[in-house]
Amino acid sequence: MMTKERPTQMRRATSERKHWVVSTGFLISLFVLPFVLNKFGRTGEFWIWVTTEMVIMALFATSLNLILGFGGMVSFGHAAFFGVGAYTVALLMKKTGAPLGLALLAAPCVAAVAAAIIGWFCVRLIGLYFAILTLTFGQLLYMLAFQWYTFTGGDDGIQGIPKPAFLGPTNYYLLCFLLFLICLLVMRMIVNSSFGLSIKITRENPERAKFIGINVRRYQLMNFVIAGFFAGLAGGLFTELNRFAQTEFLHWSRSGDAIFACLVGGMYSFIGPAIGSSVLIFLHIFIQQIHQSLVEIWAIFLGLILLAVVLFAPEGLVGLYGRIFTKSEASEPGDATRKK
Amino acid sequence: MTDIVLKIEALSKSFNGNMVISNVSFSIPRGELSAIIGPNGAGKTTLFNLITGNLVPNSGGIFFQEKEISGMEPFNIVKMGIARAFQVTNIFPRLSVLENIVATLVTHRRGNFNLVTPIRKLKSVYEKAHEVLEKVGLTEMAQRQSGTLAHGNQKRLDIAVALALEPKLLLLDEPTAGMSPEERWQTVDLVQELWERLGITMIFIEHDMDIVFRISQKVRVLCYGTLLAEGTPDEISKNEQVIEAYLGEEV
Repeated sequence: MMTKERPTQMRRATSERKHWVVSTGFLISLFVLPFVLNKFGRTGEFWIWVTTEMVIMALFATSLNLILGFGGMVSFGHAAFFGVGAYTVALLMKKTGAPLGLALLAAPCVAAVAAAIIGWFCVRLIGLYFAILTLTFGQLLYMLAFQWYTFTGGDDGIQGIPKPAFLGPTNYYLLCFLLFLICLLVMRMIVNSSFGLSIKITRENPERAKFIGINVRRYQLMNFVIAGFFAGLAGGLFTELNRFAQTEFLHWSRSGDAIFACLVGGMYSFIGPAIGSSVLIFLHIFIQQIHQSLVEIWAIFLGLILLAVVLFAPEGLVGLYGRIFTKSEASEPGDATRKK
Repeated sequence: MTDIVLKIEALSKSFNGNMVISNVSFSIPRGELSAIIGPNGAGKTTLFNLITGNLVPNSGGIFFQEKEISGMEPFNIVKMGIARAFQVTNIFPRLSVLENIVATLVTHRRGNFNLVTPIRKLKSVYEKAHEVLEKVGLTEMAQRQSGTLAHGNQKRLDIAVALALEPKLLLLDEPTAGMSPEERWQTVDLVQELWERLGITMIFIEHDMDIVFRISQKVRVLCYGTLLAEGTPDEISKNEQVIEAYLGEEV
């Protein structure tokens, strides 16, 4: 048995080392990126803004994937927690004059509480019913923000959120990037922990999970809250980036964007959603740069991309990369979920 | 007085007015290897579903080690020491064989809420998992994706998952269903060997009378939801009611 195992272990070790080199290089270039872009004046500043949005949305998509890819539950209401985080930052900073640090700390916590309340109802249902209920709650919050003019500003949103002087585009990018990295590591730790494995088995076979002693709903709820927490932080960061919060942040189409990101990037890999999200945002901006009017038919491009993914790369870009560059597994270590 | 592990008292269950289990009572002493037989639709699997908490009885009681368990949630019943393997293979198909067991062990040791320690660092869990796989003879296939195993091996894995929970009572729902004759006897040998080695109380549902009469100490016959007869294999094979209702003229 040992003789059989050794070559696979060695292959895994070398592929892991390659993996490390690639990701470290990628991280360093992401870190250096704003300093390079800074040299290009206004265009550079615009692209710093775009990459900051990419980083924030990557965090949002990765948080959704805790539910979607690892938990196997399709949620159309994830934008609710993004929005709650966004409005928490906006309200705290605008109405109470709280410092950014405190607001960014409060955003994920408030979002997690919202997720606990909404999740408590949602995890009672499965499959399509779960999806519909998350959608319902998400839209409920959306309507609430829309109608409650005195508190949320209705469809005007909350404008003019203060920005600390030292947080120029570059610094804000670096702040987001740092927080993104920390969150990514924490989520990765969760996915690879005992809890992560328990979540995976509730996805694989909830019925059997019950009979090895798992309280399926409780795990799903906990996972839902964790995902909501990180989504809340993403929302908070996004608000500060734009210096406004608006109802559109809560809209279900934003949940949809994150789901598309997971599909395109590959929802059975940890990093896939972040990649998918960045690629989609980049394409969106790229098309906009070619010609402004093309943005109006963005949905057609998106549809074609999704069609291509579903037909030719059902495991997303990460799966595609794995198929092309590594013959063994393209998967996260310790998880044999990739191949059918 | 014998040590009773499971006691079932006047248990009844009906679906939309159809009595599926009606007024069934029996007791299982510790360490017994017994079979439940009966024609299709006799309520055998329903009985297992009641014992494991998947269904709630309409009336009657189920006592495990003198504690009432009817109406409890399945995951709590598992924690008390009742595990089951399923008639239709019921595993975690996209995880590796080893991960199936590791996940079960982690749950069994109540380590699921650990969000920090990487699962691969839990050496003792992996050692134990390999031990469990060795018991059922799946060591060679530890790294295989479990959904790709042959049917017989998937059923073995199902049993292994149940064993990893270190149950006091193990319920096996047709452990040999859908197997080739060869696999069938291998599984029977496995069940008997595990029973002898681990001293777990086991109940299995089986249609093959050769198997039932060869390994079980006690046989209970369910027919249309009632307990028709209960006794040693010898007694059952001679019981006229059972012959008439189920076994046919000759065994």
